This record gives sequence, structure tokens and C-alpha cells, in this order.
Amino acid sequence: MKGDSYIDRSSRTLTLYAVLFLIVLYLPILFLPLFSFNDSIYIAFPLQGFTTAWYAQMWENPQMWAALGNSVKVGMATAVISTALGVFAAKAITRYRLPGQGPLVGFMMLPLVVPLIILGVAILILMSRLGVPLSLYTVTLGHLLICTPFAIATLIPRFEGLDPSLEEASADLGENIWWTFWRVTFPVVYPGIIASLLLTFTISFDEFIVAFFLAGTEQTLPIYIWNQLRFPRELPKVLALASVILLVSFVVVFLSLWLTNRGNRTLVQPGKDQ
Amino acid sequence: MDVIDHLAAVRRGRLSRRAFTRTLLAAGVATVAMPLRPARAQSDGATFFTWGGYDIPELFVPYAEKHGAPPNFTTFGGSEEALTKMRAGFVVDVSHPCNQGLPRWVASGLFQPIDTAKLSNWGDVMPELIDLPGNEAEGGLPWMAPFDWGQTSVTYRTDIFEVEGEESWDMLWDDRYSGRLGSLASAGDAWWCAAIKAGVDFADIATEDGFQATAAALREQRPHIRVYTDDTTTLEQALASGELAAAMTWNSSAVLLQADGVPVKFAKPREGALTWVCGLMIHKDAPHPELAHDIIDSLLSVESGHFMIEDYGYGHSNMRSFDKFSEETLTGLGLSKNPLEILQAGHFQTPQTQEFETRINEEFEMIKAGF
Amino acid sequence: MADIAEPAQAQQAARPARRGRGANGRLFYRHERLRGYGLLMPALLFMAAGILIPFGILVTMSFWTQTGFDIDTSFTLDNYAKAFEQPVYQTLILRSLYMSGAATVATVLLCYPIAYFVAFHVHRGKMLWLILLTLPFWTSYLLRVFAWKTVLGYNGVINSALMSVGLIDQPLEFLLYSQSAVIITLAHAWAPFAILPIYVSLEKIDRSLLEAATDLGDGPWRRFLRVTLPLSAPGIIAATLLIFIPTVGDYITPALLGGPDGVMIGNMIQMQFGRINDWPMGATLAIIMMICVAIVALTVIVGTSRLKARAS
Repeated sequence: MKGDSYIDRSSRTLTLYAVLFLIVLYLPILFLPLFSFNDSIYIAFPLQGFTTAWYAQMWENPQMWAALGNSVKVGMATAVISTALGVFAAKAITRYRLPGQGPLVGFMMLPLVVPLIILGVAILILMSRLGVPLSLYTVTLGHLLICTPFAIATLIPRFEGLDPSLEEASADLGENIWWTFWRVTFPVVYPGIIASLLLTFTISFDEFIVAFFLAGTEQTLPIYIWNQLRFPRELPKVLALASVILLVSFVVVFLSLWLTNRGNRTLVQPGKDQ
Repeated sequence: MDVIDHLAAVRRGRLSRRAFTRTLLAAGVATVAMPLRPARAQSDGATFFTWGGYDIPELFVPYAEKHGAPPNFTTFGGSEEALTKMRAGFVVDVSHPCNQGLPRWVASGLFQPIDTAKLSNWGDVMPELIDLPGNEAEGGLPWMAPFDWGQTSVTYRTDIFEVEGEESWDMLWDDRYSGRLGSLASAGDAWWCAAIKAGVDFADIATEDGFQATAAALREQRPHIRVYTDDTTTLEQALASGELAAAMTWNSSAVLLQADGVPVKFAKPREGALTWVCGLMIHKDAPHPELAHDIIDSLLSVESGHFMIEDYGYGHSNMRSFDKFSEETLTGLGLSKNPLEILQAGHFQTPQTQEFETRINEEFEMIKAGF
Repeated sequence: MADIAEPAQAQQAARPARRGRGANGRLFYRHERLRGYGLLMPALLFMAAGILIPFGILVTMSFWTQTGFDIDTSFTLDNYAKAFEQPVYQTLILRSLYMSGAATVATVLLCYPIAYFVAFHVHRGKMLWLILLTLPFWTSYLLRVFAWKTVLGYNGVINSALMSVGLIDQPLEFLLYSQSAVIITLAHAWAPFAILPIYVSLEKIDRSLLEAATDLGDGPWRRFLRVTLPLSAPGIIAATLLIFIPTVGDYITPALLGGPDGVMIGNMIQMQFGRINDWPMGATLAIIMMICVAIVALTVIVGTSRLKARAS
């Protein structure tokens, strides 16, 4: 095992650094649950006293739940569509030698390097010229533009691990292209697909700037939160919701990790060559 | 996340790959096919495009009684931003501008006059608030139904800020508290307050002298300011923590801070506060014109008025809303049963041209950036 | 994410397989190429519609003039002239480049050891570590920014701690509403965008190279500088670009934490489209900003590839 070689020997300094890093990483975030139990609408020290009132109010806030629901919908639609686009593109890029491929790929990566405010404004102008009313669809459209490059970039390394002779063998056996994809390609690349789905969902779920320009009457959660920052009355409820989201994602992630470990393998190993 | 559970199941061999791909495919199809509409039948209701903080059921009790639920809300942080979005093609039923922007909102051609015959509370609305410059459409109908009014002034920590002599706008220029003063970031408030401080009469605010004098006052103030912000939460939190000793705010900040036990006072500057009226306008392409009038009627109701006065400390346009409160309570909130008293004691914002708005906003952004 | 530059290698890998096909290879090849374009098409068309058209409008608009509510569509370069004449725009652009540059360097420097740690020193539960390092980012960015206010604030965590230890008598005021507040928050918020690409590039390093270097008598530091660091360069470059480029145009963090001296160009662009209501000027500033960003990004890419070429 290489893991036991002197190169991979554990280093006390690095371990200490890693622990410190985690503390600094988590410190600000842990203030969200702390203040969600604070009996004051202002997020400031000193703490005023313990209350669970914000959680009770959170349950009864239909607008916030609607915003959360909208964000989940937009996030899921964005994740699925951008990953699907990404799968085709990554396959084309890694499998075929296409003239002009470099510039084309570069072009598709453009949204990664364009400041979001510009993207948001540009699409807003386009939509208003076309007379398309703003809605969750326009938000999803904006998020697809942001997320598709991420999906492609995440999927390319996975498709590179793919041996083309496998697909050719399948084709020679008379399987059609879709069947070949599901039977041969998909099983190899699905960790990449999962990673892409998670990444694009996360990006969309937390995206504010483009959503702000493209949202109509239905708000996504970041827009709802931004509006609540203006008037402090609702803010503690938002903190309560954030704490719940944090807790749920912790539980789900560790549960799935535990389940996978029972399957006796690590889940996704990004970049590990086959 | 059950995707990951599935993944685990595949790995353990409990689920065949084909079954897995089928699930994933089904999930994908379901997601794409899922309509991006909220469960609640949103499209049936009218939409109120308003400031954050007004998107609450408390202001729509009569509306909810009539239609079963409050209208749909969508919020903005500043009325200029809202106008920009509507000019870009965003259609709503009712929106919420203020008097100083009124002529420009009308000029944008995006609004229709309000049919006051459809408003049961119209008779109780203070006539002085309806009679604003530029508010008269053809047939004597108003473009904007006045709803809330109030002041922009200085909220200060009584335990931190030592007032020298009378309360005054000088408090926000006081170098003893340099770095502990806050200001609203929109020229719609800050420019006008600086004009009051600089002694520029609002009739002259658009003249070159008025412009330069105001800009100079703002430049002088800038080194003392710790934060310019659009969200009152920032100012309120900083006042609550003692980070700021005084800040330019609207009525509601002081009321909310006092309710939270923070020792603050909403100053009555000797030069006079900045006063404003905001109201409701109906979009010319409003998909629900009848409901739009019901939204306005609900906001003009006495119930809404009580909430505005009691919880936010703002004035209301319905004169009967004030009957419930004693003169003492109202004075404490900086209000009065006779709004003219307040509006005329202060400096009432006067509408300006779009060019002027652009110019002061541009200049103020420069000043904030240190130029 | 780190592998944007990689397709070229894949092509090379795929090429030999196709060589031996003989006479009808050419036809098949063309067919293949068509199929390749077919697969690329959905994403390409979508991105083209979503990028080219809006950008065309943006560029066109930058040559127009705003007059009140209307836009005068006669061609003019006035906006560009104004952008170069008025010092405020240059200052804001330079400040934005400096602030996001500082945030990028800080993030990459601070995250490299962590990525290294997970790649080389964690043997069981690598995934657990990666998840632990990315989980905080599942909470809303806006709320994280707000949380930083409580840490950096006047009687926030840092000031309270320092005062209770007796190191300072008065709260440090430069912590919040300053450029440093924006830089700290950006560095924190973009950490996963540094950790993941660097981790991926480190993970790919062939361990036998490291062993070879050790066998040749290199100490740990020399080995790191000669082998590990150059081989992880693609990850570092990807991280740098992924953080630098989006943060230059950020306006949320400066608006909430920056104070008067922390305003960035993104805030000005947003104001042009909002309050100032001069869309053509906003479009102009946006385009100038993109050009600046592109110049910096290209410098980074070209500079590092030169460095790489010299090293090998």
C-alpha cells in the first residue's frame, strides 16, 4: 500500500492546520443557529435570552416556504437540464476530434468568467425585448447558463477515463447508441453525473444576482432573504430556516456517507483515474 | 439526496444498474416536467410590487376576508430599482412609489389612473395627501392613492450621543462621533437631507448653486460616515450594538429599536426633518384591475392604518386610523392627527425631472466612492 | 473543474484507436465528426443563444446615450470617453482588481495546505473531509455574509475576545465596513472553489514520481518544490481564475461589508442600471470591466505557462 509509504506519512503541523482551518470555516456559520435562538430581532451581541419563538414562526410563514419550494424547483430543474447538456457536450468533447473544438469549448466556458451582474442584466434586456414575462422559468434559464459550464467541466474528467473500445465493442454487438450509453458509458461516468447534479443544484440554490434580475412575482429563497435584510422583523425566522437547512444537509450527507461506507467503498473520488 | 442512497444500493448490488438508471431517468423526467409554479394558485391572485416589509398579511385583512388569501407579493429595495424593473417589462398589478418620484412614474407611461369609485375608504383619505404635484389624471382621478407618510431624520443612541444644544442635522456631521455615524445610501433620502443641512431651499434644489452646496455638504460628511446602506437592518443593528451613535433613518427604525429596549430617539432637527408620502399606483396592463383596486382599498383601511402607526410608526393616509391613538402616543412617534402639521413643519420632497435624479444619483455615488 | 484544459489530451488518446480503420475510415470519420457535433449542439446552441444575443445587445447599448427615460440610439463613443476621463471609474476598477486579487491569493494560499493534507495525509474518509470542507457552503451566501458581521463587528466576536484578554481597550473599527472585511469574507466564501481543483490536481500526481525524487536524495521541501508544486499548477491556475473572475464583479459583499472605502465596480454598474438610470453607461463599464478581467486572466495563464516551459 502506498498509503503506508513515507511520502504519505502524517504530519502533525498539517493536521493541526487542518483542524484550525475547519474551525475558522465553521465559526461564522455556527453563529446562524446561535442567533436563531436569541430573543431579539437584531443579530448583535450581547445575546438577549433564549427563545424558540422564531422556529415556531418559521413553520407558519407560507411566503418563506413558497420561496424555499421555488428555489428547490429551480435548483432541481437546473441540475437535471444542465447535467444532461453537460453529458452530451462532455461526451462529444472527449470522444470525437472536432475541428474548432478548442474555441467552442472555450466559448461554452464563458459564463464561468463573466461577472454575474453582466449576465443578469444582459438576459433581462433580452427577455424584455422578446416580451417574455419574468418568472421562475427565466430564473432557471439564467441558472442554466451559469451551471452548464460547471457541469461540462465536472463531467469531462469522468468521460476521459472512458475506454472508447468498450463502446465500440458494444456498437459492434449491434446495440444502438442509446442502449450503449446506458449500458456501457453511464455506469462508468455516473459518479461524475452525481457530482455534477449536486454541484449545479448547490450553485442554483444559492444564486442571487442573476435570480434578482430575472425573477418575477415568485421569489427564490436568496431573493426572499435579501428582501428580509431590509426590515429586521423577519430576519430571525430566516436564521431559523438556515439552521434547519444546515442541520438537514448535515444529517443527509452523513447518513448517505454511512450507507455508502457500509457498501464498503468511498463514494465519489473526483479525478481518480480508473 | 435519495440519489446517493440509490448509489449506495447499486454499489452493494441490491439494485441493478438498469433499475437505477430507470429511477434516475424517471426522476429527471419528473423534474423537467414539474411545472415551475407554486402549489398555491398564484396566477389567480393579484400582485403587489412593494418595499420589503409591506409584504405581510397584517396589511391585507379586508382583502383576505373578501378573497380568501392575501395577494401575491414581490418586493424591491428601492423605488428606482422597481421602476427600472417595470420599464424592462415586468408587469404587476399595484406598485408603491413615493411622491418625489410620482411625476416620473407617470411620465414612464406604465400606469393607469385609479378609479376612486371602487375604493370604499376613499372618502376618509386626507385630501391634502391626494393633492400632490402631478397627481391629477384626466377626469380628476388620481394616479397615486396616498398610503403611508413619514419622515427621514436622525435616530440616535441617547446613552452614547451627547446632544449639544438642540437636535439638529449637524449631528450627522459631528466630528466627535466621526466613524460612528451612518447614512441611507439612496440619494432620494441623503441628498435631500444634506440640502436641508446646507440650507438649500427645496425650490432651489435643482439650481446649480443648490446642487453644488448640497454636494459640498455631502463631501464634508463622507469621512465621518461609517456605513452608507440601503437596508435599514444594517443601521438598526449597528445602532443596537452601539457601533453607530447616530444614523439617518425613517420612523420605523426608531420605533422598532425602542420596542426592542434600545435607548434611541428619533430626532426633531431644528432645521426640520425630511417628509415624504408614498402611495399606490396601478400598472396600465394590470392583469387584475378589480383586484388591484381591492389591494389599494385594503391598504387604505383603518385596520391597516392601525398596524402602520402602531408597529412601524408611519403615518397613514386614512384620517380615521388616528382616532384610536392619543395625541401623546402620536407625538411620541413623531406623528400627528393633522398630517399637514408634520409635513409642513418638515421639508416636503418636491418632484424633480429624470435628468436631475440621474445627476444627483451619479454625483452621490461619486461622493460615496470618495470623489 | 480543474480539467478545462484537458480535452486535448483526450483527443490524442482517442486518435490511435481510429487510425487502423483503413479505406472506409475516412467516411466513418466524417460520420463520427457529425455525430460529435450533434452531441455538442444542444449545449452549444443554448449557450450561444444565452450569451451571444445578450452580449450583442450589451455591446450595442454601450454606444448609445441615455436621455431621461429614452435611449438615443445614435452611435457615440461618449460613454467610453467619460469612463476614461473620470478618475472615479479607474479607481473603482483598480480597487476591484486589487481586492479580488488579494482575496484570490489569500484563498489559494490558505487552501493549498488543506487540499494537500486531504490528498496525501488522509487515507480513510477522504470523502468525509471533502464534504466537511464544502458543507458550510450549503447555507445561504447572504446569511454567511451577515454572520461575518457578527464576527467582525464593533462588539463582535473578535473585538470581544481581544478586549476580554486585555489586548485592546477600544474595539478595532477597521475590521468591519472596510476593504479587509470584504477580502476576508470573499476568501471564506470562495474556499471550496480553491480546495476542490487543487485537491483534484494533487490527487492525480503519480506517487512514484515523488518516490523517485526522494530516491534521488531530495528532501521534503525540495521534493515539494520540484515535483508536487509544478504538477499541481493546473489546479492552482483553475482555482485562481475561478475565484478571481467572479469576485471582481461582486457587489453584494462590498454593499454589505465594505463601508464607504470598500465600494467596487460591481456596485457602480448595478447603480447605473438602477438608481442612476444610465443603462448605456452601465453597459460601457461592464464591458471595460470584462476587458480588464480578461487581460488579467490571460496574463495569469500565459505567465504560468512560460514559467512552466522554463522549468521543464
